[in-house]
Amino acid sequence: MIETGIPKLDEFLGGGIPKGKSLVYYIQPGVEGEIFGLQTIYNSLKKGGRGVFVVSSTIPEIIKGQFREFGWDIDQFKDKFFFVDAYNSLIGAPSNEKFVVSNPDNIEAFSKVIMNALKELPPSTIVFGSLSTIIDLCGEKETINAVKSWNKTAKVYDHVMVYNFTAWPYSEETLKAIKDELFNAVISVGGIAERVIFGQYFGIFKADWTNENKKSMLFRVLRPGGIRLYIPKILVTGPFDSGKSTFVHALSTRAISVDRLGTTIALDHGHIDYKGFSADIFGTPGQERFDPIIKLLSGESMGVFLIVDSTNPTDFIRAKQMLEITKSYGLPYVIIANKQDLPGALASEEIRIQFNLPSDVPIVPVVAKDKKGIFEAFEVLIDKITGGI
Amino acid sequence: MTDTIELIDKVLSDLKTAGGVEACAAVSRDGLLIRSSLHKEQFAESFAAMSATMLGAAETASIELGKGVPNRVIVESSQGRLIAVGAGRKALLVVIVNQDAGLGLVLLELDKAALSLKELLE
Repeated sequence: MIETGIPKLDEFLGGGIPKGKSLVYYIQPGVEGEIFGLQTIYNSLKKGGRGVFVVSSTIPEIIKGQFREFGWDIDQFKDKFFFVDAYNSLIGAPSNEKFVVSNPDNIEAFSKVIMNALKELPPSTIVFGSLSTIIDLCGEKETINAVKSWNKTAKVYDHVMVYNFTAWPYSEETLKAIKDELFNAVISVGGIAERVIFGQYFGIFKADWTNENKKSMLFRVLRPGGIRLYIPKILVTGPFDSGKSTFVHALSTRAISVDRLGTTIALDHGHIDYKGFSADIFGTPGQERFDPIIKLLSGESMGVFLIVDSTNPTDFIRAKQMLEITKSYGLPYVIIANKQDLPGALASEEIRIQFNLPSDVPIVPVVAKDKKGIFEAFEVLIDKITGGI
Repeated sequence: MTDTIELIDKVLSDLKTAGGVEACAAVSRDGLLIRSSLHKEQFAESFAAMSATMLGAAETASIELGKGVPNRVIVESSQGRLIAVGAGRKALLVVIVNQDAGLGLVLLELDKAALSLKELLE
């Protein structure tokens, strides 16, 4: 089993890609998808595995540059990492790589090099930087037949085969073969323009070694850093003086607030980068006179932190009302029982009874000013959000 | 989807060529960044959230006082201006201009761009 290193994807795949299996990243044109193959091979090398990268759309030096751009040092894997250079011969340039395809536009010549590598090397992760380029050069039917035999051979030699494929308008037959027949797993990588969220997502289209898990996740690409799961908006709301701004600031890598006389009058905005997730956090004011602003800002949230002052049960009614104002019912939410350090703070279960909350709503005890419990709370909410899409 | 994004980028880059415009952004009404010409995305996201709040608060105040929907919000400082206009139900458009910019021309271009953005998103 190798891990792809792409947050949540390994979990969705039941741990990663088993030896002998093949996987294709099926990428919509216009989406930053090539990074999926790069991140997969880098991660398997980092975990002590071996890797081969088949370059067919540019020179190997450019690919090395891309690894560096993400902050990934591949020179450290000297004897464990090779390129198959299927580009330099096209432009008549010499190649320094271990494996060179001398006629990249001839599928038999291509296949011969790949087969040699598959038979010669110990079990490795073999990533094809661009299957679409091979198809463009060698023809659709020819390439599909070749991929079939590569995957078959890889199975016997315990290699993991990973392909980046950009879904240009090829024949329907070809696209169908790639989606349904050629590979053990298909991860679709695409773009959405739903309402106003312009984003990129990936999701499992199929994976034959695990129960099919059709969840999909928004992502963005950071340089350096690689793929981060992206949550465009998490709302932080709650009654006046419950500690919303403190919570936003404690959680965020960076944050700004609009406050006067010690209370938020417009909003808090923060950004968090944590365990493979990248999220923007919007904190609302708490006082009733700001309700119009709260309504304005709460659209498109993917999850909610409802902050309550654990020492002040009289505020719980207002807290419930705020869930209503922000139209948060139906969204995943977590109750943050703040100010647990103060005398008289109610325990989570007491709050549950006072609030009359169902048992599946998580209540996390927190001391926001000391950053106690906040990342636990973040993880709980993320689990609810990613479990619910 | 790529088409819409490209077209929005085109609207923003056209707007940026108007004299004195330093940066501009398309923002959703609820404060999410759609696209911007700011280089640092991190700044752009906070900027987006703040601009949406500003315009939203101004609209709420103006409507509550019986003065209807305001045409725009202009924030003036010694170093320049920040101008936010609504672009349909879903979005708004914000520009930062330097103090030398001719306001009339910028407003004209801004209204034109807001109309294009509105049509793109609806």
